[in-house]
Amino acid sequence: MRRSARFSEARKLGAPIARSLERVWERMHWWVIAMAALYAVSGITVIRPDEVAVVLRWGRLIGASPALREHGPGLLFAFPKPIDEVVRVKVKRVFEVAVKTLAQGGGEGFHSLNPLSGYALTGDRNIVHVEMVARYRVKDPAAFSLYGAQAEDILRVEVTAAMVRSLGEMGVDRVLSDGRKDLIAAAVGRTQAALDAVESGMELTSIELIRLAPPEDLAPDFNAVQSAFIGAETRRKDALAYAQAAVPQAQASVEATVQGARAAAAADLSLASGEAQAFRDLAREYRSNPTVFRERLYRDGIDRAVANAGSIRWVPPPVGGRYQGLRISISSFSSTTAAFPPEAAIQGEARE
Amino acid sequence: MADAVKVQRRLRAIAGALALAGLVFYATAIVVREGQAALVTRLGRPLRAATTPGLHWKLPWPVDREILLDMRRRVYETGHTEMLTRDKKNIIVRAFVIWRIGDPLAFVQAIGEESGAEGKLDGLLTNAAIGTLGGHALSALVSTDPADLRVDEIEAELLAATAPLALRTYGVAIEQIRVERIALPEVNVTAVFEQMRAERRQFAAKFAAEGEREASRVRSEADLEAARIRARGTEEEARIRGEAAAQVAKTYADAHRIDPELFRFTRSLASLDKLVTGSTSLILRTDAEPFSLLQGKGPTNAGRARASE
Repeated sequence: MRRSARFSEARKLGAPIARSLERVWERMHWWVIAMAALYAVSGITVIRPDEVAVVLRWGRLIGASPALREHGPGLLFAFPKPIDEVVRVKVKRVFEVAVKTLAQGGGEGFHSLNPLSGYALTGDRNIVHVEMVARYRVKDPAAFSLYGAQAEDILRVEVTAAMVRSLGEMGVDRVLSDGRKDLIAAAVGRTQAALDAVESGMELTSIELIRLAPPEDLAPDFNAVQSAFIGAETRRKDALAYAQAAVPQAQASVEATVQGARAAAAADLSLASGEAQAFRDLAREYRSNPTVFRERLYRDGIDRAVANAGSIRWVPPPVGGRYQGLRISISSFSSTTAAFPPEAAIQGEARE
Repeated sequence: MADAVKVQRRLRAIAGALALAGLVFYATAIVVREGQAALVTRLGRPLRAATTPGLHWKLPWPVDREILLDMRRRVYETGHTEMLTRDKKNIIVRAFVIWRIGDPLAFVQAIGEESGAEGKLDGLLTNAAIGTLGGHALSALVSTDPADLRVDEIEAELLAATAPLALRTYGVAIEQIRVERIALPEVNVTAVFEQMRAERRQFAAKFAAEGEREASRVRSEADLEAARIRARGTEEEARIRGEAAAQVAKTYADAHRIDPELFRFTRSLASLDKLVTGSTSLILRTDAEPFSLLQGKGPTNAGRARASE
């Protein structure tokens, strides 16, 4: 009896609230139904062409294998929250992370470096500054989605550590010249291994060195080495050019000499053959009348000699076997000179 | 009309039931996402840890409460710590740790807030790093000789020195420790700069000398090769000239054999032609031919002989 009295009392107290709720329901029940319907389909998600989606049902990842876990572009039918949560990941996009941990910061001392300044030690304990850009894409959307904002922080420190390690095993000259490719390859390999070890779901596609240089204070010294190297290369190339010219020049000179010798030999042979032939013809004629022929040859020879001579001096025949008052002076200015009778040339006697 | 009222009542009942069910669900369900764990406490006393993702249950507040913990891996970078290596070299090292909550209950009891974990890790790591690196030379960290490098070993030692202790004491699972930076104290950097300058000077001198030597070698080899070529050329020239001279001599000898006396005579005349030129002065006796003709004399053997001398 007391219990029913209490119940009727409660009904009386709750009646205004019930009436209010009833009034609200009467006015808004279609809205409520519409909102409920909208909520029911709110889990349907559009996955874009560059995305892959994974579904968490009551927080647990659905699908035992990657093929079952990952949903490609298109419509994905999922339950509304909080039952399902659709996590979309851009798997085809290549993301960039700037890594400046080892890059020289601003406002540092010129002749030294604060330990907080970004730099790394090479294997031969030289100092270099490195500024990098790491590029990655998502290879395991489920694993990557669990990292959230930490993913790029992990990538940044892993790249830094891998670069410090790789620089620490190479000499500065190799690092700054032909070793850059090896350096990057080593750093990429180490970073990827470390990322895989912590199941990051990231694939490092490349590390690009924006800047790899010695400290600014040492730049002139490094430039001097570079200049010396270029100078040495220039001298070597000059020498090669000299060598490439000297040998052909010698060959050309030798060829000219040999050809000259051949030409001279041919000329000598031609002359000898001609003269021999001429002599044979002469001898044939000579045999027919030796005395006349010989006399003619002699006269012709004397005539040519007299005609060709620059000057002729006549001297009287010797008296008693001696030339009286005859002196022959040979001057150094003339190769073959006989003076007769020059002034004071006849100063003594010459015997025949 | 009566049907409409019935439908209205049913709808109202459904809506009310759903609202009530939602309220009960909200009060008693714990949704643990991937990468999360929930520590359930009953009246403040830790009851259990829900570490697997999915739906878990509890009694409604204020009896049970859940503390959601982020179980994902995260990175912590230590400060720059100066330490001494085994070979008495001062270095400044910075490391990073990849860690996650390994034991939710121990973590909440020892640390409480997630943000407090890093301070604990820093102290743990600094101690471990000082101890570990003190047992290695600097060349174990940086060296061009692969045999000296012990970075993997050092990182494994650091992990072994910190991971069990961190899990036991703080409920923190350390998965990876890596050396992120190796630097030198500022005072030493000046000395390193000087050393680098000296090395550069040495390299510049070396490059210059090597370039000079190489250039000299190339030039010498070229000169030698050119000299060899010229020598071969001279030899060839001599051979050609010799062969030609022999041929010429043979030709003249053949001619000489026809009439030696006539040959000598014609050669003498040819020589005379060559010898007597415009710069030659002849001295002839007045009784020799042809001047003797003016004196009414015929040719004499003596005069002829004088003229031919």
